[in-house]
Amino acid sequence: MAKNVLLVDDSSTMRKIVSRSLRQAGLDFGDIYEAGDGLEALDVLEKEAVDIVLSDINMPNMNGIEFLREKSGRDGIKDIPVFMISTETGDDIIGEAKSLGAVGALKKPFTPDKVNEVLGPFM
Amino acid sequence: MGDFSDIIPKVVDATVEIFTGMVMMEINQEGEPLTELGIIKDSITGMVGLAGTHKGMLAVHFPNDLALAITTSFLGMDVEEINEDVQDAVGEIANMLGGNVKTLLTDKGYDIQLSLPSTISGEEYTFLADNDLQQIVIPFTAPAGNFFVELELEA
Repeated sequence: MAKNVLLVDDSSTMRKIVSRSLRQAGLDFGDIYEAGDGLEALDVLEKEAVDIVLSDINMPNMNGIEFLREKSGRDGIKDIPVFMISTETGDDIIGEAKSLGAVGALKKPFTPDKVNEVLGPFM
Repeated sequence: MGDFSDIIPKVVDATVEIFTGMVMMEINQEGEPLTELGIIKDSITGMVGLAGTHKGMLAVHFPNDLALAITTSFLGMDVEEINEDVQDAVGEIANMLGGNVKTLLTDKGYDIQLSLPSTISGEEYTFLADNDLQQIVIPFTAPAGNFFVELELEA
């Protein structure tokens, strides 16, 4: 069954690029939802049937780490897997993200092949 | 050139990777690095601030025609004027490059945080570094024009 995806990034350009890369990677996905920060993402997760989240880290209002922390405390949505998509892929920040439940990370810039390699097993 | 000159080749590699991998545009680094850019005309600049153990800034300066071509390629749709899409695309390029610079500096033992990206644009403006910042400007060529990557960092 195709997975519904939530893209979380304050850059609308980047959300379009990630969406395009998912198509180019040949991954089987259903609906694509978008959010501009962690707060909006939590709102979407509470309302829509999202199967997987792809989230930036460096965002206004609520960043990706704060989003993971808040999400981990909400029973209905805490088990939805989250991938971090960010320019920041240092061991410290990704280690913190994984300790809060992130299942993987994709470094910007990325190619459709890389998207397939990282996300394919989860789609 | 400052004590961060050793990361410049990697900044060049990161810039080329961003353009070939995500903008889908072939670029080349051509010419010697500069210490300042002077007056910038009919351009848009994307930048991210660096804070932490060393303050500084990463900026990319694009002439308008090139910024439009980049955004058109990025989004897969025609863009004919400097608008929010162009600002967003240019800011995101600065953000990606800033993330790479942060990683390179972290490997050198620096502890750096990035600001959110921002852009400025206009018919004519100058970009001046604080006196206590070292500054290097790297020239690149692209099919729709030349552009510059600028790194300023506290010594």
